Amino acid sequence: MGLEQYKGDMDMCCRCSACKFIPMQKVKGLQYANACPSIAKYNFHAYSGGGRLNIGAAMLKDGMKYTDKLLDIVYNCQMCGACGVSCNYAMDMEVLEPISEFRIQCVADGKTNPALDKVIGNLRKQGSMVPGAKSQRGAWAAGLNVKDAAKEKVDVLYHVGCLTSFDKNMQKMARATVKILQKAGVNFGIFGNAETCCGGRAYQMGYPEDFLAQARKNMAMIKKAGVKTVVTGCADGYQAFKVLYDRFNLKGDLKVLHISEYIDILIRDGKLKPRRKVNMAVTYHDPCRLGRLGESWVHWEGKKIPGDRFVYDPPKPYRRGTNGVYEPPRDVLKAIPGLKLAEMTRIKEYSWCCGAGGGVSESNPDFARWTAQDRIEEAVSTGAGAIVTACPWCEKTFIEAIKDSGSNMKVYDIVEIVEKAI
Amino acid sequence: MALKKEVYKEFESVVGEENICDDPAIMPSYYNTEFAAVILPGNTAEVQAVVKLCNKHKLMFRPICTGWSGMFPKDIILLDLRRMNHIIEINEKNMYAVVEPYVISSQLQAELFKRGLNFCIKGAGTNCSAMLRGHGHMDQTTSGDDRNHLAIEWITPAGDIVRSGALGSTDDWFCGDGPGPSLRSILTSAVPPGVTPGVFTKAAVKLYHWPGPSAYSLQGVSPHYSLSEIPPNMMARYYSFPSVEKMWQAELAIGEAEISFELMGFNISMVAANITTSNEEEEETFNRLNKEVQGPGFFVIIAGNSAADFAYKKKVLEKIVSDASGKSLKAVEDPRIEGILMAQCTRISASIRETFRNGGAFNSIPIMGQRDLTIKWAIGAGKAKEPLIEKGLIVDDGGAFFGWGVEQGHLGKTEIFCKFDPQNAEAKAAVEEWQKAQNRRAFEERYFASTMGPQDKIGPALCNYDKWWSKLVKSIDPNGVSPEGGSLV
Repeated sequence: MGLEQYKGDMDMCCRCSACKFIPMQKVKGLQYANACPSIAKYNFHAYSGGGRLNIGAAMLKDGMKYTDKLLDIVYNCQMCGACGVSCNYAMDMEVLEPISEFRIQCVADGKTNPALDKVIGNLRKQGSMVPGAKSQRGAWAAGLNVKDAAKEKVDVLYHVGCLTSFDKNMQKMARATVKILQKAGVNFGIFGNAETCCGGRAYQMGYPEDFLAQARKNMAMIKKAGVKTVVTGCADGYQAFKVLYDRFNLKGDLKVLHISEYIDILIRDGKLKPRRKVNMAVTYHDPCRLGRLGESWVHWEGKKIPGDRFVYDPPKPYRRGTNGVYEPPRDVLKAIPGLKLAEMTRIKEYSWCCGAGGGVSESNPDFARWTAQDRIEEAVSTGAGAIVTACPWCEKTFIEAIKDSGSNMKVYDIVEIVEKAI
Repeated sequence: MALKKEVYKEFESVVGEENICDDPAIMPSYYNTEFAAVILPGNTAEVQAVVKLCNKHKLMFRPICTGWSGMFPKDIILLDLRRMNHIIEINEKNMYAVVEPYVISSQLQAELFKRGLNFCIKGAGTNCSAMLRGHGHMDQTTSGDDRNHLAIEWITPAGDIVRSGALGSTDDWFCGDGPGPSLRSILTSAVPPGVTPGVFTKAAVKLYHWPGPSAYSLQGVSPHYSLSEIPPNMMARYYSFPSVEKMWQAELAIGEAEISFELMGFNISMVAANITTSNEEEEETFNRLNKEVQGPGFFVIIAGNSAADFAYKKKVLEKIVSDASGKSLKAVEDPRIEGILMAQCTRISASIRETFRNGGAFNSIPIMGQRDLTIKWAIGAGKAKEPLIEKGLIVDDGGAFFGWGVEQGHLGKTEIFCKFDPQNAEAKAAVEEWQKAQNRRAFEERYFASTMGPQDKIGPALCNYDKWWSKLVKSIDPNGVSPEGGSLV
């Protein structure tokens, strides 16, 4: 069906520009009212969520008319879904899905982005989103006494993710996670060198077949190992396992938790006790794919009820960002003695993207850093000395933006903060 | 028509290469119109330079702000004012704010609330330009129409900068009429960017006292926002009445008593749109509430400056409503619903729900005039909707109209919608015919003269204003670079 299935949604756009801003009731002043990095940076309406739908509707009708500008528009989008949340405060229509399908169509037509092609090429060869030899994927775990989930029976599989596995600056997150899970007495394991990419970022980049290939590999390994619960340390991985695998009927009854959710449960159950004081003032950044895009997939089939209104039988459940993971990471931070949490203006379902999504960190690193810089400034405005996130892609982009700007803001993943407290 | 390379370069030298585009890929997002180019000027000087170039090359141009609606001729230059998004000044002492065209109402209002101030947000919604002229939910206490614009900075179609009102002779924005040139009759045909030729680059808008909190305390996740508590000395209610006459009696009395912060003559369909988060929920809510109301009604917000002031206003309100046999809608007495409506109707954040969500599009006839007269017309316009509702061509909203008084007075706004699916050609044609017929009836029965009515008859009946306007436009647009029409929001 592709783009065609969203014809009605694209035609529904009333060009009100709400997609450019955070939900109107949440606007707190002139600053930090933007929701969409792409329109905020490039300004032409074509770069907004609504503009993308207008283009999709026109090209669905008249055929894809490729120009360099069109591809610039298509690939300079983090697919962060903020446009959809703002639109769906008022409207019943799909926003991110047709934008995603439009990109998929571009890739299918061979109108790809060279940087993303390179990433996908590496994925096909090495099973990773980032450069690195497959045989080294589990090297970070050396000496940590972590079980191999493919060989030993475990209750929980910790899916580490590509960036955390291969980026030397991010491996600290994996080590912190291991320490936390060991401290809580969890029977967990990893797939080590056998672990492979979740495929989520391939889907964002417009390569659904590569995503599906990765999803099938992962689920085959998980079934073989008899794993019932997967914990991810990466928001992209979380969304892939929990939402996308379910969407494509691959997830089955696998339980998927983000590490922040799991730590929250462990603290509530008394299995993890953050006792050490962490005297820091921090602010929390909601990763898009843990927050608004992390809500469960709801399978729906229905028909429009004939008549004047756009009503469906059964009612159509739109993904408005309502049920994302917002409170567990905050509850974890609040459970840490000495730590003070200050909120930014744009949080939870209307959080500003870090800039790395949709392959932008590879296709246009300047734009990714520009987006992250805006977030760092917002974090500074809270008076906090550190920004805490729950995704290595966010952390990496923030660190790069800080390096560019010379800000004193520190960046941590939530597991690094918890590690300090136990 | 593509611009010649050298002409394109001239525009590019003004705004920079990243702020001009003639690529066909972007045109679907600009009303599916093949513009010669879309240009993003960043300040008044750039607007002026672009307009002068348009004159030099005899190229027509139009500006837009957030650009909710618009019909444009092809091959013209489109000025997207998105980069002009600064609040220039908030003058608390003299109670005005100066803004550029792409400051949206929500941004300005949030800044004003912090200072105990407010301004008139137009019914189009808080996602639209803060400079927009027109009417809105809070007209009782923030006035409406052209009364809210003070000094204005305007680039004429010929590329001259005109500073009206106080700005014409001083650096101050406090007055639209002097000491300096008052051009109200020209400039307020719509601001901005509107149908007055040229580009409005800055405007001062009047500010008003805001008795509410510096920011609402919201809870919940989108789209389920509600107030964690009703702010002190504030109350929202919906009252229905046994007849239009009784409703009007109460509306007049409330205006005379000057007790309401907001009196919005919502019909029950619009209440349902505001408090629900999907079409299915809205339909169910509309059908339920429609059974509870006894007839036409309005929504009221009372806001006291002290507990005693609030108690007084509340008591007077209850007496007026009782005298007119009004009945409070129980659903709105629920603090959760009351809070949702209070926030929506002061931040004006649900206009899109009220207009587009049900059917995908709407046509409306908005009018300003003597409320009792325009209400009589609107009853007829509502009746005329019934056959369309029966055929399933438009959304069943009970045929209802809505409206409110301005500045607690008997003059005000009355409006009636037809919401429909724009992909349904039969529905679209039927709605356009309804609109035409009701505008014609309004003029023929001497209710009002709409700009959408029969111009060949309205012009002569109103001193041939249209001919005078044409002559005026010709004199300020000697090269004919400013086409008629444009985006209003």
